[in-house]
Amino acid sequence: MARDWTFSPMGLRGAWRYLVAFGFVAMSTAVAEVIYRVFQTDRLSMVFLAGVLVSAVTLGPGPAYFAAAIAFLIYEIYLVEPRFEFALTSAEDFLVLFVFLAVAVLTGGLAGRLREAQRRAEARARTSSALFRASEEFSASDDEDAVRQALAHRIAEAGRQAAVFDGARWWTAPDGVEPPEQLLRAAGAPVTQVATRRVDEWRLRPLRADDQALGLAAWRSTERLHPDDDERLVEVLVDMAAAAVARSRLSGERAEMEARVRTEQLRHALLSSISHDLRTPLAAILASASSLREFGDRFDAAVRDDLTLTIQEEAERLNLFVGNLLNMTKLESGALSIEPVVFGMGEVMGRVVQRLGKRAGERELVAHGGEALLALGDPILAEQALANVVENAVRFSPNGARIEVSAHGVDGRVVVEVTDEGPGVPAADLPMIFEKFYRSQTTAAGQQGTGLGLSITRGLVEAMGGEVDARARTDGRPGLLVALTFPGGRP
Amino acid sequence: MSLGHLLLVDDEQQILRALRPALTAAGYEVATAETGGEALAHLASEACDVVILDLGLPDMDGKDVIVRIREWSEAPILVLSARDLEHEKIAALDLGADDFINKPFGVGELLARLRASLRGRERRFSAHAVFRSGDLEVNFATRRVAVMGEEMRLTPREYDLLKTLARYGGRVVTHRQLIAAVWGPAAQVDAQFVRVLVAQLRQKIEEEPSTPKILLTEPGIGYRLTPEDDA
Repeated sequence: MARDWTFSPMGLRGAWRYLVAFGFVAMSTAVAEVIYRVFQTDRLSMVFLAGVLVSAVTLGPGPAYFAAAIAFLIYEIYLVEPRFEFALTSAEDFLVLFVFLAVAVLTGGLAGRLREAQRRAEARARTSSALFRASEEFSASDDEDAVRQALAHRIAEAGRQAAVFDGARWWTAPDGVEPPEQLLRAAGAPVTQVATRRVDEWRLRPLRADDQALGLAAWRSTERLHPDDDERLVEVLVDMAAAAVARSRLSGERAEMEARVRTEQLRHALLSSISHDLRTPLAAILASASSLREFGDRFDAAVRDDLTLTIQEEAERLNLFVGNLLNMTKLESGALSIEPVVFGMGEVMGRVVQRLGKRAGERELVAHGGEALLALGDPILAEQALANVVENAVRFSPNGARIEVSAHGVDGRVVVEVTDEGPGVPAADLPMIFEKFYRSQTTAAGQQGTGLGLSITRGLVEAMGGEVDARARTDGRPGLLVALTFPGGRP
Repeated sequence: MSLGHLLLVDDEQQILRALRPALTAAGYEVATAETGGEALAHLASEACDVVILDLGLPDMDGKDVIVRIREWSEAPILVLSARDLEHEKIAALDLGADDFINKPFGVGELLARLRASLRGRERRFSAHAVFRSGDLEVNFATRRVAVMGEEMRLTPREYDLLKTLARYGGRVVTHRQLIAAVWGPAAQVDAQFVRVLVAQLRQKIEEEPSTPKILLTEPGIGYRLTPEDDA
């Protein structure tokens, strides 16, 4: 604790105060001597009284009596006729002695009480500011070890050797010491109530909050140096620290639980996404096939054709999804091993456009620029990666929109870009679209995908040593541009 | 030969595309909706005799759609749902859905559920005297139960259970509904009691109790009888 040590006679201890009191009387004597010489008067008891008064006000009762006694002696010997001779001759002398002592008693007692009150006020101020700082420090920390460390520091700053036990180890201030062995044994005893126990010079107080044992604080106090008021301060510090430790523990548990909940949500999202993406095509296939069996002869050719087309499309969609699932499983388990071969990007792009052409429906799906480009990787995985991007583009583009798959070489690498005319993605969300379960907030919910496709694309492309990027179209039209970069291959 | 107006609510285009021809061919006048909002708007303006509702809609919870429909319409609601979402289905049934069908399904099954839903709603409130399904015959007036013409002796609880299922005419009846019907609405009875009673009943009415053909289990939800014959 920073304490103001400017000079104040109040702060002095023991013999020094008597010396100062003597000084005050000596000064009175000097003044009296001057007045005596100048004015030739020996009615100077008032001057000595002033010395006694000053001593009493500034130094308290003891030095005041001392000052009264020596002031009276000096006055009697030095000024009262016959000079330099001690003789209580007149009633007036007794009166002087009586007045000196009365002033010393009354003023000294008064000053003592004032001083005591001031000391208490200072201690209270110190206590409250220490508590305030400690509470700030404790609440600023979510780490219970930091709280224990801070507690040890705070008690040390209150002038005590201190250590805080957490059940396994001791925390001390830099110059602190751990309590001795027998104290540890005492600490091991079960503590069921919050009370300070004394073991020799050490005091032990359990850290307890909400019936939880949170450790133990130990500090070393001597009654001479540490009055009971300050012990209360330390106890309050310990209890505050206990509350802070309990709170940090609670928030730690909460964070852990939140993490568990998030994992659970992710797992649930994955399961429901898989369930939905497998069942929807299956439901369409089963409904179409059973319709054809049941009512085939009553449907006209166009209806029959549409139902068989549904079966084919949905089977292809199912195939894409199952492929994705397998790849995701492999990516997640690290079991995806790629034997890089040189392949023509044009062929991959062609197959993707062919595969998804029917899904595109009234949207225009074109590919160009890949014919002469050779890339290095797994062509089947590259196709899957690209198909996911194109499928996404189809999903978010309105009927009549144009989806372009173009490729070009950059620095020996092959860049495939897919541009759509969908609503695009807010700039802030762009880095997230390759995250698992990211779903656009801006589109109608009916267009929502599973949130898996692009994350698998990234996994696959990165596994082949490439990279993915997404940005807004740069030609001023709305829509998204997704670029997949593959390592280039040489024939 | 219109069987009535049918509203098909599903956000997946391909499901609508796959179901519409068969439902039309079966005799329903089919309207479709892709969102809960569209479905409610349609129901507010057009006559509708039965609703097929997917619970997973983009704009609102399918259960809320059921609640909204039930505020003013008694049209049977058949819920489409995934097999693993028992709680969803039970909640939907509690909120007033008439029956459910697990995705994926064949249209034959769907049409049978539709018929049961349309007929069951009438039956539950009518004094229709006899329920016939395959070899089973339940006469509500005389409390006689016969399998292949041979009369069965049932305990009062067994009869109450069978009667309740028959009253629902092939639609699913949840454990809770069965408990309320057999033990009383305030009964604190575990679903295990229903299972035991169903097992007893199967011993009497099923040819092969371990592979029931009449009294069918809907895992996690309840039971149903094989739908009534279309006579």
